[in-house]
Amino acid sequence: MFGAFRASHVNQGGLLWKTPWKLSVTRKANARARLKKVDAVIEAVRASGVQCGALERALELPKEHEMLAKDKYTVFSPHIVGYRKGIHKVPKWTRLTHRTNPKGF
Amino acid sequence: MAARVCRYSTKPSLSPRLTNLRLISTPPPPEPATHFKITLRRSAISLGEKKKGTLAALGLYRRNQTVFHPHKPDIAGKILAVKELLEVQNVPAAEVRDKYEQRMGRKAPKGYEVVGSRMGGIDGI
Repeated sequence: MFGAFRASHVNQGGLLWKTPWKLSVTRKANARARLKKVDAVIEAVRASGVQCGALERALELPKEHEMLAKDKYTVFSPHIVGYRKGIHKVPKWTRLTHRTNPKGF
Repeated sequence: MAARVCRYSTKPSLSPRLTNLRLISTPPPPEPATHFKITLRRSAISLGEKKKGTLAALGLYRRNQTVFHPHKPDIAGKILAVKELLEVQNVPAAEVRDKYEQRMGRKAPKGYEVVGSRMGGIDGI
């Protein structure tokens, strides 16, 4: 069990990538900064005075300061006990919008 | 008993010189913003062909590239379709720059100015 020839994930299978269970303080701060940048884009389009359906839908999204921490750093998943998983488990999560939950969750 | 008369006026009249100075020092009213200044900050690699196509339709093909588009609903819809990748500002028409003008704006000044030429150039004698 111990020693140089112990069985570990790495020497049994090769590559082992570990994704942390939750985001670090720095990653959460970066996530908030990205949310604010998206808010700024929506605000700039609203300030232009243009009216379109895409803008109405974008204005329905909660702003960064209105969101709960739960919604900022975790996301709904039907396969997980408690129905929440870390948002960083979603592929391309830094370039996608996941602000609202399915109805009832 | 003579009544005391107050000779204060609520609006002190300014001297013409001061009025003129005030006119010069007040900045002109800002021009209304008519264009979106759109900068691509994040790439659309592996986000799907639709988002890549939206960026191509906006004329964006590399990161940190800036384009200008008028305030129109179709442009606003395209911006919002890729809102996570862009940085957007509203600018007046006077600030719109095409690709060449943006490049000239980034260049360092030459440090000299041609005032004439012996060979009879621009304003040569």
